[in-house]
Amino acid sequence: MFFIHELERIITLHPSFFGPNARTYISNQLLHDVEGTTSGAYFIVCVMDTFDISEGRVVPGSSLAEYTVHFKAVVWKPFKGEILDGLVDSLNEAGFHVNIGPLDVFVSKSMIPSEIRYDGNATPPQWTDNGDQVIERGTHIRIKIKGTRGEMGKMFAIATMKEDYLGPLPSV
Amino acid sequence: MSNLLNHDFDDEESDDEFNPAPEVDSGDEKGANRSDDGQSGKPSRVSNGAARKSREAEDDEDDDAEDGEPKAKAGAGGDAEDDVNDDEDAEGEGEDDDEQGGAEDDDDEDEDEDEDDEEEEVSGRPRKRRRRDRRMQFIDAEAEVDDEEEEEEEGDEDDLAGDEAHPDDLADLPAGAETDDRRHRELDRQRELAASMDAEKQAEALRERYGRQRRAAADVSLQPWQTFLPEADKDPKIWVVRCKQGKEREIVLTLMKKLDDAKRAGKPLGVTSAFTREGTTSGYIYVEAWNQMAVERATEDVQNLYPRSKITLIPVSEMPDLLRTQKDKQLTEGMYVRIKRGLYTGDLAQVYEVVNNGSEVEVRLVPRVDYGVSEDLNAPATDGKRKRPGGLTGNRPPARLFSEAEARKKMAKYLQPQGNLKRNHFNFRGKEYIDGFLHEYYKLPALQTENVNPTLEEVSKFVASDEAGDNLDLGALAQTMKQNASGADYIPGDTVEIYQGEQRGVWGKAVAVTGDIVSIKVMDGPLRGQTVDSSVKGLRKMFKEGDHVKVIGASKYRDEVGMVVKVTADRVTMITDATEKEVEVFSKDLREAADSSGMQQGISKYDLFDLVQLDAAHVAVVIKVDRDAIRILDQENSVRTLLPSNISHKIERRRNAVATDHEGSEIRFEDVVKEVSGENRQGRVIHIHRSWVFVQDRNRMENSGVFAARSNAVTTVAAKGGAVTSAGPDLSKMNPSLQRPGGPNGGPMGPPKTMGRDKMIGKTVMIRKGVYKGLIGIVKDATDSEARVELHSKNKTIAIPKESLVVKDPITGNTIDYSKFASGSRRPGGMGPPQSPWGGATPSSRVPNGAGWQGGRTPMAARGNATPAWSMQQDRKPAGWERDEGGSKTPGWHRGNDGGRTPGWADGSRTVAHRPNDGSRTSYGGATAYGGRRPQSTWSASSKTPAAGNHGFSSSSGGDPWATGSRTPFHSSSSSRTPNPYNAAPTPGALNAPTPGGPSWQNNSHAGATPGGFDAPTPGVYAAPTPGAAADHPTPAAYGGGRGGLSAPTPGAMDAPTPGARYGAPTPGAGYAETPGAWAAGTPAAANDDDPRYE
Repeated sequence: MFFIHELERIITLHPSFFGPNARTYISNQLLHDVEGTTSGAYFIVCVMDTFDISEGRVVPGSSLAEYTVHFKAVVWKPFKGEILDGLVDSLNEAGFHVNIGPLDVFVSKSMIPSEIRYDGNATPPQWTDNGDQVIERGTHIRIKIKGTRGEMGKMFAIATMKEDYLGPLPSV
Repeated sequence: MSNLLNHDFDDEESDDEFNPAPEVDSGDEKGANRSDDGQSGKPSRVSNGAARKSREAEDDEDDDAEDGEPKAKAGAGGDAEDDVNDDEDAEGEGEDDDEQGGAEDDDDEDEDEDEDDEEEEVSGRPRKRRRRDRRMQFIDAEAEVDDEEEEEEEGDEDDLAGDEAHPDDLADLPAGAETDDRRHRELDRQRELAASMDAEKQAEALRERYGRQRRAAADVSLQPWQTFLPEADKDPKIWVVRCKQGKEREIVLTLMKKLDDAKRAGKPLGVTSAFTREGTTSGYIYVEAWNQMAVERATEDVQNLYPRSKITLIPVSEMPDLLRTQKDKQLTEGMYVRIKRGLYTGDLAQVYEVVNNGSEVEVRLVPRVDYGVSEDLNAPATDGKRKRPGGLTGNRPPARLFSEAEARKKMAKYLQPQGNLKRNHFNFRGKEYIDGFLHEYYKLPALQTENVNPTLEEVSKFVASDEAGDNLDLGALAQTMKQNASGADYIPGDTVEIYQGEQRGVWGKAVAVTGDIVSIKVMDGPLRGQTVDSSVKGLRKMFKEGDHVKVIGASKYRDEVGMVVKVTADRVTMITDATEKEVEVFSKDLREAADSSGMQQGISKYDLFDLVQLDAAHVAVVIKVDRDAIRILDQENSVRTLLPSNISHKIERRRNAVATDHEGSEIRFEDVVKEVSGENRQGRVIHIHRSWVFVQDRNRMENSGVFAARSNAVTTVAAKGGAVTSAGPDLSKMNPSLQRPGGPNGGPMGPPKTMGRDKMIGKTVMIRKGVYKGLIGIVKDATDSEARVELHSKNKTIAIPKESLVVKDPITGNTIDYSKFASGSRRPGGMGPPQSPWGGATPSSRVPNGAGWQGGRTPMAARGNATPAWSMQQDRKPAGWERDEGGSKTPGWHRGNDGGRTPGWADGSRTVAHRPNDGSRTSYGGATAYGGRRPQSTWSASSKTPAAGNHGFSSSSGGDPWATGSRTPFHSSSSSRTPNPYNAAPTPGALNAPTPGGPSWQNNSHAGATPGGFDAPTPGVYAAPTPGAAADHPTPAAYGGGRGGLSAPTPGAMDAPTPGARYGAPTPGAGYAETPGAWAAGTPAAANDDDPRYE
């Protein structure tokens, strides 16, 4: 789910950047540092353009200046129970991985309907019920998040497709 | 438990249900019955159906009434007895088909009774002797019956109980005849009826009858079980009777027979049942009866039964417990048990197969076979019985998997391969070994099935051999471990669920755990919000899909973290974060993981290629780390898999460890070595432990490329770095004769030449070029072209080309160009002409130059006089000073001593004295040590440093030069070598004079000197310390680690000497004068004071 989230970040600036363009530099630095990263809980999609940069403060003992920047950003956070669409990334006997943007979702065997089985001999390998449901790399799939886990810089989730209306989507 | 069921009793029960007793009619009878009950009547009621029936034949109604009563009392037994009823009914049917066909209003019971009656008829007169009956005769409405009974009784008494009573009797009792008649008539009637009924009706009747019974059974089952509990006055009581242990079952069977006989004989004993509780209470049987007398009668004269000892009544409240069956723990394949007796007592075994209806199991064991090792083959064959105890009591062989090879070694004749070749199946001495495991049959009692608590280690023995590895994890352990639930598995905050008992389904959060009781705050359902206490039994942790959990506890997946994907009862399937593998674990082994907790790999504390200590004598290298096991390769190149707990500790890598290779050169960490013999494997040394080296060859696959070898079985292919290697205690450096053929001046001659200590070492230098330009440092080591300089400004040692250095006089601060220095070095030697030998020895001469620069010369002396110089020195290098003291010095001493010093040296006095003293002294000593080496020469040259010189000399052959050249004083001191001087004055001299100085002085024969000498030395020494320190500092460094001690001395020697030189050695006169002057006051005193200290 997407949110607009208010965030704060401290940016340190090397003295060589002190000057009229300091603010620009800070802005760039912020975008560079923050956009597209995840803190583990959510993914920062985009920093909104208004930020509030505090007065700089030289850090004692070093010549760097510290700026506290308040900003708003569009963030994306997956929730347990949320139903999401993604792209199958890789498959193996134990299940398959789905990419939903920055989120790596694993759908394990026990969360795949029993009629859909792994066929490692197919090319490419696929999970299939030998009917119209074929899950292979690149398949669009709809899944329901069962649990999420975040580490610094990475998000991970497991999901199920063992419910109604979940599973591969007809290719458009 | 075997029940003796009384048919009549059963029937009566059913009767009650279906024949509402015409109580009105039989009111009298009832009363009578009651009274009977009160007394002893009841028993009869139960078992004497036959007698009754004979009478009943005539009055069914009465009978019913009678039956009704007991039945009510016996209600509890109803369930079990239904079956019996069925059987009886079946019989009845067969017998009285006609009657049944008639399907009169009579119930099953009636039929049964009829059956009985028939029996009676068949067997003749029913035998009755019940007093109650007799009484009843008066009560009964029909006199005939009574008469009959009476008659019977009489007959019984007279033993004339024949059915065909005496004709007279018959005549007397027309009633009896009538009875017979009546029965016949009845029969006829029934037959008629049966005949008149069509088959369908018959079927219906049958169905009705039996259908009802089924219905009845169903009804009963629906009744709350509490209603079946016995009541004190309505049900028979149970007595417990002692018997011989192990005969319980037999006795009960005997009793059954006896009761049956008695009943058949018409004298029922009034016992309703007898049973035993095998196993739980051996030595007792239980008899259910209406009164104790019945029990006594039933139990007397039964073999192995001791009714006379004691018959105890069981309280009603305890009766249900007697029959409570405890569900036996069901053994299933794969479970773990422990053996209770025999050789394998306490050993863990795995159930392989359950045979004989569960009373016996085939288990797999890790065998304890000694393969005849302890057996005396020559011993006369004795009977097996005698041997066995020995085998058991002696120390039993260790548990190991069966080894075919070992078995073949000594006892091949007992070894027979079995089965197909695929399986590793043997018969060895009559026992089966399959895949290394012993397969044995055990009876259930010989196995401990509760509280097995298999340890991971034990289980792993079974698992390890299992190809599939995984298949044991849960199924097997599940059963075994389930009982072991304890409060320890739960901590407040766990989400738990009650899955057993009345509160099944309740779930909530544990708020407290007290022993085995968990308080749960219920989260759902009607109890929501309340706190419920529950025993850990019947409790399990609850997880939901998507929960992030961590495995704790004894599971082999311990410390794995993952997300739950499936929950089945108490098994949870999770996907591990690390491997994304699905693993199944018990919920009790899981705990909610903090969301942020990273994937802490529960890998052991040992890393790949760690050197670990296994026991006192064994070390090994880790070559594989698994989750729960570690594979190691020990110093004998054997590979084993161990649990981390089997490893004593990790040995830190000693990077500076040194070993000697096949050719005597040293091996260090990371050197490339090659095996001298064998496979000629080659690799990089990863560990050196004592005389073993562990070598890794990255190109080999086996054992991760690691192999172990004795250090002297490998030869160095390439040392890691030449320079570094040379810094070590290089033997060649220690032995002058191996020294390279001299520096610039070096001639190929004799020892002097070989003296190769770079004069740069220990010098204070300034760097002229490069990034370090301008920095000052001390030369710690030097090669021909390069010097390693320890910078003053940074704690750093760098290698600098010598050309880039200028030598700085630490005192004056003057700088001397290296080239000049190098060449000039000689000069000092020259200067020391007095010490001609010095000059002669080129290298040595060099050394002196040190002295030269230090001003060993007069000038020096002059300078030396100036106390400031001293002080200067001191100031300069406090650090060095400390270092020296630190110990390098002292050792130096020691070494010197050991080195070949004359015993004189050895005398502690000196040494001791020295040690406590400042480094200067030590340095002296060191000098000695040095003396052994070439440096001494240097020394001697420079200052004659008397002491140093002496020592050195003494030890080293170099002495000669000394002898000749060195000053007398030195000489004399050197004489130390030659025991005389030393010996002569050993102690004192030594003491006072910090040796060298002292003796030298004295020897010098400067009269005044002596004292002065004394003083001087001491002071010199003392004072010297500082300088010494300064000097020392460098030296040790130069020498490098191991030698430190030695080297240290040198410098000390140098410094010390210098002073010494100043004083005495050089120009004695001048020096002397000065010294005394300078030192005069302080020194002596100091000296004196010191002396004692020394000693």
